[in-house]
Amino acid sequence: MLEIIHRLLFATLDAAPALVFAALGAVLSERAGVVAVGVEGMMRVGAFCAAVAALVMPTPLAVGVGMLAGATLAAVHGYLCIRWRSDQVVSGIALNLVALAGGTFLLETHFGPNGTPPIQQLAPWNWPELASVPVLGALSGHAAPTYLALLLPLLLQGMLTRTPLGLRLRAVGDKPHAVATLGLSVPALRWGAVLGGGLLAGLGGAVLSTTVLDRFEQHTPAGLGFMALAAMVFGRWTPLGAFFAAAFFAFGNALRIGLASSAPGLLDVVPQGVLLALPYLLTLLVLTFQGQRNSTPASLGVPYEQESR
Amino acid sequence: MGERTRQALPSVLSVLLSLVVCWQLIALTRDTDGTAVATAAYLEMLWGGIGDWPRFIEGAAVTVLTRPLGEAAMKAALLTLTGLSVAVAFKVGLFNIGAQGQMLLGALAAAVVGAHVTLPGVLHIPAALLGAAVAGAAWAGIAGALKLYRGVHEVISTIMLNWVAVRLVDNWLVVGPLRGVAEAGASISGTAEIHPTSQLPRLLGDSSRLNLGFILAVVAAVTVWAWLARTRSGFETRAVGLGDEAARAAGIPVARRAGFAMALAGALAGLAGAVLVLGTEGRYPGTLGAPYGFDGIAIALIGNNHPLGVGAAALFFGVLRAGGTRMQLLDVHKSFPELIQGLALLFVAGRLIWLAALRRRSTPTVATAAPPAPAAQVPHA
Amino acid sequence: MSLDIGAGELLAVVGENGAGKSSLMNVLYGLYHPDSGEVSVDGRSVRLKSPGDAIALGIGMVHQHFMLVPTLTVAENVVLGREPTRRGLFDWERAVREVAATCERFGFVLDPRARVDTLTVGSQQKVEIVKALHRGAQVLILDEPTAVLTPQEADELARVMRGLVAQGRTVVLISHKLKEVLGVADRIAVMRRGRLVAEVRPSETSATALAALMVGESQRAVTGHAAASGEKLPSDALMEAVGLPVRGDDGRPAPGGGEKPGDVLLEATGLQARGDNGCPALRGVDLAVREGEIVGIAGVDGNGQRELAEVLTGLRPLTAGRGTLLGGALTGLTPAQARARGVGHVPEDRLRRAVVKALSVEENIALGRHTGPPFARGLWIDFAGRRERAQTLLASYDVRPPEPTLPLQALSGGNQQKVVVARELDARPRLLVVVQPTRGLDIGAVAQVHARLREARAQGTGVVLVSLDLEEVLALADRVYVLFEGRVTGQFTRAEYDEREMGRRMLGAEQAHG
Repeated sequence: MLEIIHRLLFATLDAAPALVFAALGAVLSERAGVVAVGVEGMMRVGAFCAAVAALVMPTPLAVGVGMLAGATLAAVHGYLCIRWRSDQVVSGIALNLVALAGGTFLLETHFGPNGTPPIQQLAPWNWPELASVPVLGALSGHAAPTYLALLLPLLLQGMLTRTPLGLRLRAVGDKPHAVATLGLSVPALRWGAVLGGGLLAGLGGAVLSTTVLDRFEQHTPAGLGFMALAAMVFGRWTPLGAFFAAAFFAFGNALRIGLASSAPGLLDVVPQGVLLALPYLLTLLVLTFQGQRNSTPASLGVPYEQESR
Repeated sequence: MGERTRQALPSVLSVLLSLVVCWQLIALTRDTDGTAVATAAYLEMLWGGIGDWPRFIEGAAVTVLTRPLGEAAMKAALLTLTGLSVAVAFKVGLFNIGAQGQMLLGALAAAVVGAHVTLPGVLHIPAALLGAAVAGAAWAGIAGALKLYRGVHEVISTIMLNWVAVRLVDNWLVVGPLRGVAEAGASISGTAEIHPTSQLPRLLGDSSRLNLGFILAVVAAVTVWAWLARTRSGFETRAVGLGDEAARAAGIPVARRAGFAMALAGALAGLAGAVLVLGTEGRYPGTLGAPYGFDGIAIALIGNNHPLGVGAAALFFGVLRAGGTRMQLLDVHKSFPELIQGLALLFVAGRLIWLAALRRRSTPTVATAAPPAPAAQVPHA
Repeated sequence: MSLDIGAGELLAVVGENGAGKSSLMNVLYGLYHPDSGEVSVDGRSVRLKSPGDAIALGIGMVHQHFMLVPTLTVAENVVLGREPTRRGLFDWERAVREVAATCERFGFVLDPRARVDTLTVGSQQKVEIVKALHRGAQVLILDEPTAVLTPQEADELARVMRGLVAQGRTVVLISHKLKEVLGVADRIAVMRRGRLVAEVRPSETSATALAALMVGESQRAVTGHAAASGEKLPSDALMEAVGLPVRGDDGRPAPGGGEKPGDVLLEATGLQARGDNGCPALRGVDLAVREGEIVGIAGVDGNGQRELAEVLTGLRPLTAGRGTLLGGALTGLTPAQARARGVGHVPEDRLRRAVVKALSVEENIALGRHTGPPFARGLWIDFAGRRERAQTLLASYDVRPPEPTLPLQALSGGNQQKVVVARELDARPRLLVVVQPTRGLDIGAVAQVHARLREARAQGTGVVLVSLDLEEVLALADRVYVLFEGRVTGQFTRAEYDEREMGRRMLGAEQAHG
């Protein structure tokens, strides 16, 4: 039994970081009032650029390249939505479509349909003393992003609730005009949140290419960005909530994969498709029974115009 | 510049800009002869979409025209239906990101009715289409109900419903309970083959895959346009979309209009699924990869949410998409038109940039020819 | 235009709506940027690129629409942008202490720990003032601060403003209420159409003289219209349009109506309804309206007036109580039924409730009446009939420009409101519910709207007039109900009008015994 829990935990800790980072990025952007539908696209460019960069440079640096790529896409989103007050959902969807088709085009042009050549994965960190402890030992043997994914939600939660910057970000998501009249720049705060969100989403994608896989595959991230949105909603737009939701989804997935190999009979009772649909179904249920109004940032998706109130 | 032109111009310019940027992209990714390859690829795309006129003039059979045109028309039909789905929801103020899921459900329903119900031809096709429309409407109706009764934003709920649909249909129903069994007992991928009575008849015989689905899409576009522009309930629907509180105060049944529009959106997307299954696929395939539902978002917005604009945008991108396969001759991936479409949407998203640029350009002429500014504040003589 | 503001004075800037008062102040606060001209502070020319620059120069502003984040506490709202920190973290306890100290220093009673969305409007305004003072504002600009306050709260605000001036600070009060300005200001600047037309001292002028200055050449328009309609004395129309009371000295009814009301249109007892936040907003209202009278509903914003109007128009369900409205029950009334029975509605929030700004003017004229002739034939829109009716109405209500195909948003606020009034009166309603019908309108439009309401009354329509502006209610209504916290705390006929007493009732004082 302990062995099974150990293996499930280990698999969860391996798979969760990409989802956690993307969900945190979405939370950051949306708390400042900018819709993050484009997270899927940002993950995709992050994953692609990290995989390509890792062909010519050390993998940790390549992860940085992936983050910058995510932020670049986010900058386009920011330019359209903050500078030009475009519809944030439309912009996000457009970025997703561009990243999807553009990724396929570049991949096919340069590498062929089977993805980029394999790259050096990020090295796991091993703690032999810890590894021998039952269950807790699952914490050992992961690459750096796993540990960052455990730390970052706490830091972001602290930032949002305990620092002046966090107070301002929350205020700008709820009532940007109030923030503007206090001499603070609404665009600057939103730009910061959007670019930060892009860095995190790019990191999520880069982690996919450099730890979960060892290359960029044609369908990466295959909807993980949308699951990150689900985690954000499920976690009520808070970093810690999004973290727990993402970890829960990842754990569920690990459980499903574990069941498929160890107890296939069980999957006849509960089909895999139903299990795969569960994260989205649960998110829908949460929305249905708690409503959305209380935790959604009040000005989410509303373009900010100085001369209107 | 007329108001209609001004409305349509950003879309047209966006598409043109996207074509230029993408052409440049092909040119830049070639080591040699970039511009020549790019131009050749665009020509291939064109002949693959509107028919290979050069070869026809040289004496090739008429099928070099009818096959590509048929493909283009069928792709346009699917894009029209999903584009209308998104546009109709927009008209009532809802952003239907869920056309993909609704299309999946519609395709599945059509496949089930087509394969497991026995009816004479006159009734079988309508029954299968109806089944698809109802399935799509029901799936969209969930999002509509969540919005109306629980205040759940439709963008979030339709995204979630898309994935629920993909997982339940592709990962369970089609590989499980509804999986087809071939004659010899060997299993095939996807659901069982539909009966011939439910196949959409081909309009040009064997010379092209053009089928009844195209007519269906055209009729749908014109009907939706007439409904929105000419009827009382269409007016009410637009009023709800542009100002739901004012519509409610005016005695318009807001929930009923929104619910109906959302259901209609789902039905249209469901019909797209039916056209795919009854017209070309013949069954629900192992996985319905084609993201026509997502494309519908781009088509609706590029078509400025006007039913006829949607039709025009769908025709244009239908041609490009049909021609995309021929670009592979020059090692350009067949999904390249999707990149053109995505970039065009991105440029359309920057609509305000276009309008600002156009305004700056036309200011000097407007200054002399402009109608008098809105009346001064003191109107009584 | 140019304007000097002296240190330690209370300067009032008056002018009718649209005269440019708020734009001027937003320039001073760095929110808008001047096309030309300059701002000098303490003799030095400054460029105000953002509110941050203005704050740094000691300028603070209290906006007409509060700039508070409702989900944050009072203390958080006040310190936002200059938060106290301890080791890099936001020091919440210190913020509370600092804000409490500021409140105490200037004599405000506020709980720094309270969430802003739990406060009354009056308290929220205090938070706004504290916000500015906390930033060391030497010059405090208040934009229409009394628009939402009771007479008593307005008096308190006047005391606060005088107190600040006594401490050597400068207060700029933007208002169009001449009486209050005359009572509190050291100096009055009058603006008209973006220009400064006069600077006077209260002792040297009178309300009538100020009104004439404010209105300028449009005076002739207003008085002309009133004279033409033959309903009012020209000077009364002028006074009323700038928000001054118009009353016969002997308390006789205003000319033109109210003498013998006809049949009962609406009779309701014990009306209860919930507000948007789910809390009871109406807690037992008795109400009657007859043909040919204007019934005013007065009260401080948020005491159930809005909900009452919505109940009468079918927009809000009753939770208890019953009533008869034009021959049918009030319970279960839908907006469509209300319209069918003959209820017209000029709602408060025009762009949200009355019109759809992206639709054309003619489509807006059809809105709500679009199901029958001349706007529809069967299930189809009657384009020709609609165009014809729209053109007729645009001409008779003098809407500019009279273009039925323009999107409504291309019209000015006053012309939009004329479209709404035209549409509602064209339907010949038996009961007309109007809420804040002249808010934000220029003086000509105000006069026209008032004239049309009197005209409707003369034709037998019963009018329910909800207004936060007590002056407007007193000027138009034949009878007044005062609402406080969802209950009627006072009923006055025209002979009994007493502004002070109404103010007391608006704050919850009960009807005196006997």
